[in-house]
Amino acid sequence: MSRFFGHSSSSESETESENEIVEVQKPRQQIHTFESDEEDKRQRVVLPEREKRVEEINALVRQLKNAKKIKDVVKSNQSFEELIKSYDKCKKIIEKEGHLKHYIRAIAELENFVNELWADAAWKSSASKPNSTALTKLRQRIRKYNKDFEAEITDFKAHPESYPEEEKVAGAKESESEKSSEEESESEEGSESESEDEEPKAKPSKVKVAKDEDSDSESDWSMSDETTSDEDIDYDQGDSWKAFLKDKTTEKVSKKEKEKPRKTKEKVIVETDEETEKPKIERKLFGKDDEINPTSVLNKLNEIISSRGRKGTDRFEQLELLKELRNISRLHNVGPALDFKIIFNQMAISFDYNTRVSACMKADTFHECLRMLDEMINILVDNQNIEVNETVLDEEENVTDKTKPYKIRGCVLTMADRMHEEFIKILQQCDAHGTEYVERLKDEPKLSALIDKLQSYLEVKGSTQELCRVYLRKVENIYYKYDKDNEKKSAELVDRLCKYIYTNDSTDRLRAKAMLCHIYHNALHDRWFEARDLILMSHLQESIDNSDIPLQILYNRTMVQVGLCAFRVGNIKEAHSALLDIQVGNRAKELLAQGVMVQRNVEKTKEQEIKERQRLIPFHMHINLELIECVYLVSAMLIEIPYMSSRDFETKKRLISKQFHYQLKSSERQPVVGPPENMREHVVAASRSMKKGDWKACTEFLINEKMNAKVWGLMPQSDKVQQMLREKVKEESLRTYLFRFSSVYESISIESLAEMFELPRSFVYSVISKMIINEELMASLDEPTQTVVMHRTEPTKLQTLALQLSEKITNLMDQTERMVQIRGGEMGAFLNRNQQGQQNQQSQQSKGQGYKQQRGQRGGQQQQQQHQQQKEAHKNY
Amino acid sequence: MPEYDLTLKIAKHLDRHMIFPLLEFLSSRKIYDEKSILATKLDLLNNTNMVDFAVDCYKNLNPDDEVPEHLIEKRKHIVNELVELRDLVSPFIDLFEREDVKKLLETDRDHTIILDHLRNNYSEYNPDETIPVLYRFAKFQYDCGGYEKTASILDAYRILVPGNDRHIGDVLWGKLASDILTQNWEQSANDLAQLRDWIDKNEKDTNALQTLQQRCWLIHWGLYVYFHHPKGREQLIDLFFTHGESYLNVVQTTCPHILRYITAAAIISKRRKNIMKDLVKIIQQEAYNYRDPITELVECLYVNFDFDGVQNKLEKCDQVLANDFFLAAFHDEFMENARLFSFETFCRIHQCITIKMLAEKLNMTNDEAEKWIVDLIRNARLDAKIDSKLGHVVFGAQAISPYQQIIEKTKNLTMRANAISISIDKKIKNVDNMGNWNKTASTSE
Repeated sequence: MSRFFGHSSSSESETESENEIVEVQKPRQQIHTFESDEEDKRQRVVLPEREKRVEEINALVRQLKNAKKIKDVVKSNQSFEELIKSYDKCKKIIEKEGHLKHYIRAIAELENFVNELWADAAWKSSASKPNSTALTKLRQRIRKYNKDFEAEITDFKAHPESYPEEEKVAGAKESESEKSSEEESESEEGSESESEDEEPKAKPSKVKVAKDEDSDSESDWSMSDETTSDEDIDYDQGDSWKAFLKDKTTEKVSKKEKEKPRKTKEKVIVETDEETEKPKIERKLFGKDDEINPTSVLNKLNEIISSRGRKGTDRFEQLELLKELRNISRLHNVGPALDFKIIFNQMAISFDYNTRVSACMKADTFHECLRMLDEMINILVDNQNIEVNETVLDEEENVTDKTKPYKIRGCVLTMADRMHEEFIKILQQCDAHGTEYVERLKDEPKLSALIDKLQSYLEVKGSTQELCRVYLRKVENIYYKYDKDNEKKSAELVDRLCKYIYTNDSTDRLRAKAMLCHIYHNALHDRWFEARDLILMSHLQESIDNSDIPLQILYNRTMVQVGLCAFRVGNIKEAHSALLDIQVGNRAKELLAQGVMVQRNVEKTKEQEIKERQRLIPFHMHINLELIECVYLVSAMLIEIPYMSSRDFETKKRLISKQFHYQLKSSERQPVVGPPENMREHVVAASRSMKKGDWKACTEFLINEKMNAKVWGLMPQSDKVQQMLREKVKEESLRTYLFRFSSVYESISIESLAEMFELPRSFVYSVISKMIINEELMASLDEPTQTVVMHRTEPTKLQTLALQLSEKITNLMDQTERMVQIRGGEMGAFLNRNQQGQQNQQSQQSKGQGYKQQRGQRGGQQQQQQHQQQKEAHKNY
Repeated sequence: MPEYDLTLKIAKHLDRHMIFPLLEFLSSRKIYDEKSILATKLDLLNNTNMVDFAVDCYKNLNPDDEVPEHLIEKRKHIVNELVELRDLVSPFIDLFEREDVKKLLETDRDHTIILDHLRNNYSEYNPDETIPVLYRFAKFQYDCGGYEKTASILDAYRILVPGNDRHIGDVLWGKLASDILTQNWEQSANDLAQLRDWIDKNEKDTNALQTLQQRCWLIHWGLYVYFHHPKGREQLIDLFFTHGESYLNVVQTTCPHILRYITAAAIISKRRKNIMKDLVKIIQQEAYNYRDPITELVECLYVNFDFDGVQNKLEKCDQVLANDFFLAAFHDEFMENARLFSFETFCRIHQCITIKMLAEKLNMTNDEAEKWIVDLIRNARLDAKIDSKLGHVVFGAQAISPYQQIIEKTKNLTMRANAISISIDKKIKNVDNMGNWNKTASTSE
């Protein structure tokens, strides 16, 4: 269980009851809900601390008793856990008065009950599985727990009469508590009408309850109010609510169900809102005779917000009150600082509005918030004497005294950040292909404008750290947008902002983020060198495994963008190595947080899935996955095909790109190869023609209507890219041709090669020279006749075998060495050196595996490892 | 050719005083306006104590004007201070001439012993108080242009203070500067090495930016040494390619223009083979950032195999070298080596070339080219023959036979096998020892 399910027992009941038969589950859940609901109402009358606690325990003891009565162990287990918890809360009282007697009685009786059941063979055989497992659990638990109370329990056994079942709480409460205990026993039958009766009684302010369903949702709502002190609990409250809902909506037990209740819930919330509206607004904030001045307004404000985050506060009511207060205060002109403070709190409460982490704001609330944020910033800009800071202490705060500079505790920037988060959430919840998404996306410019405004304000007043934060926020808004018209300007802007962050930021996190955004932006606009140098200087590859997941996602996105950029600029090797890590294992979607992957063999828990969903990048920031794959495959083809052809005669073949080979092989397996349909087939077909050195067919497969529509059209300067691609294909085809068919020639004229591949002569010359120098091609040029003369002498059979043998011996040697090393043999300096040599060789051979032109001391090898680690780390999340 | 002039870029990383030779050189090459050079000089001099020099400059720049008041004023002031300092220090310096001290200095390198000796025998000179003054005096001397004196005083200072003195870095820099300016290359090469050790040693204590800066200075100051000292080029290559990558990183991050000097040194030096690959990589990497005919030459040769381009670049290099303060002296050597270098590559690719074409590429007449090749063949640097009827040079084939390959592959196997057997032997011995030890342990119980 993760922290999500932390300590709340109701959630446990939820997960357990899921296994249970639905019938059993139904009434129980209800009991629980109603009961706590009532309790909640009671608590609105302020009780002294002790009585409150005692009351709580009483209620639980009753619950326990009821559960025992029907021999429901699961339930009693729960109640027991709750009991322990609430008992822990009254430690203070215990210290003062010793243990509560009725509590001792309860636990002692429970132990007896458990022991009886344990011994009861008949019950055991008839009991359902959850019940019997719960019993075992409870038995162990209670044994352990009761050890602490040994003395008291023996005392209780001696004088049971002196231990009352319940401790009475002061006067008026008494009757009600008794009554409610009666109700509870009744409500065991699980009738919903019961609660309906209860409702008006407990809460007379409520005018009427229209429908059955409404009252349900209402009670549920206030119940989740009760415990919303932190997010963790929010979630499970939602869950228990869901379970509650289950019985009246559908009995379906499927994962899809999860979506449904969420939506229904939203609807229900709306209903509740409408309902509560009427009575609340009528309430007057100030009496008729009250004088309205800043101090009184402040007092009122404090009064309202003091209940924020408490149990049982109605946020909607609070919001309305604040609105009202603000109107009043405006009428009476109480000063900008106070006005600011009111809006600030209004916003804070709006953010609290949703109890669930995953739920998002409604559109109009969001607009409202945008407006409020705007107002807040305006106030700050207009009134330079207001100081808003998180470090201002509550005592120092000054919003009323006009003579001194205003000081307010709080941070507008945080609000802006939360707005941004909320915005992302809203987008996540939308269907990316619907019009709604577009509608919501229209808010983005507004948000950006606000951030700009905030930025210009902070540039005057803010601290460097705040500036860094707002700059980063801004950069994060810009970095993924391709600026067609004004590339220079945006580049300069990002450059300036990021450089400020680099120099002034005191936390590494902001810097790393800024750096990645900077690289991304550079790469997006084809500034390859800048992007590359920044990556190399950032040294992020070393530390990215240890960073948090959002940062890793950003890193992945950046690397992909860098790879695409390298491709567009024509650096095929770099493109391949940058994309390799994302493409390996077909997990691009997940690594880029552009969707949740359903994988075979990997069971994801619910929380994991929810977390993953929260991390998803909104659709408008996505990078096209097919584009990535295509670029990767094409780069792999350009590297791999000549390489494969050059190694035709070798025994040991090394794969540069496994994925590419996989595609090739799977197409080879097909009995009949039809004309290519999708992108992959196109690339495979292209590779096949490249293998034959047929560059024309190859380019036709790569660049045609279909591929343009699917892939190349997505690139900003697709003409240039296509041109580059044609050139590359020609070059690599030439190389492939030479590798493959050089053995057939005694000599070839450069002229005819140039004609064949439609390349300039000098280029062919340079390609061939390169191959000769690198000893890839056994040939030399004959200058007077302008031909390439082949020197390749086919080794005789014996020679080939001898070569193979020597290779095998070397292999054997390597293996032996490794084995000795593993067994802890001391490897002399010689061996170590030797191995390093091998590694170097390998890394040199592995063309472009990892960035070889690292500026640090990292070799390609090492980086590969790091990337692997990174992948693993990612896997673990 | 001002477009390839690096003086400005280099000057940023040099000490004021070291820029003067550069400026002198520039004015002799006459690529800039004489006046502007003089003005720059004057500007530089303003912050030094070399007032006489400044006055000269001023007169050259404004032949009609009077020498301004403040310069004369300043001169007086400086002379006063100099005299004052010298009075304080000179008797102390004279001490070093005494027999006993001299002997001690020669035999003992430990500063405490010397210091104790001075304290005990010459307490009237107050060694403890005078030593800090010594440092100030050195600085003052340096500002006045008395480099030789500075060097000797700094030497003395170094002997007298502990190795962790807070001025030690400054002293090292000062020593290097004054040795460079007195053109004492042997000594400055030593200083350079010491300084490098010092920077490496303090790498962990100072922040990265400072280290970067210091390394950058070291590289630039070092240029004087590297291109004057007879073994300088080798040292330069060592600095960048054999002592880790830290200095290459510096070049890449702060001063890519140094690539010109690295490349030049690599071409001039005989040891280029091993480093060329790395160098080409870096040149390519930084190509968008810095390029000049010299780096392009290498690029043409090693990346594009464009021998016409090489020819073209060689011509340009000719001018660049002539106008470069550091490389001017190596002009001929560079050209010769570059030619040889490109020819070598050329030969590796070709099996047969006409002498005429070769002559064109090498910028020679046919006869010269033929002679050049004959020389090469005779010096056994080339496996080739001349076919004079057709006017061809035919190179020997270099195909590797499988026989050779197998020998290459299996050559070191015996060595490796040996190493394994040794390590296994060791292991067995260890195990035996352990066994024995256990036995003895059990019997003693």
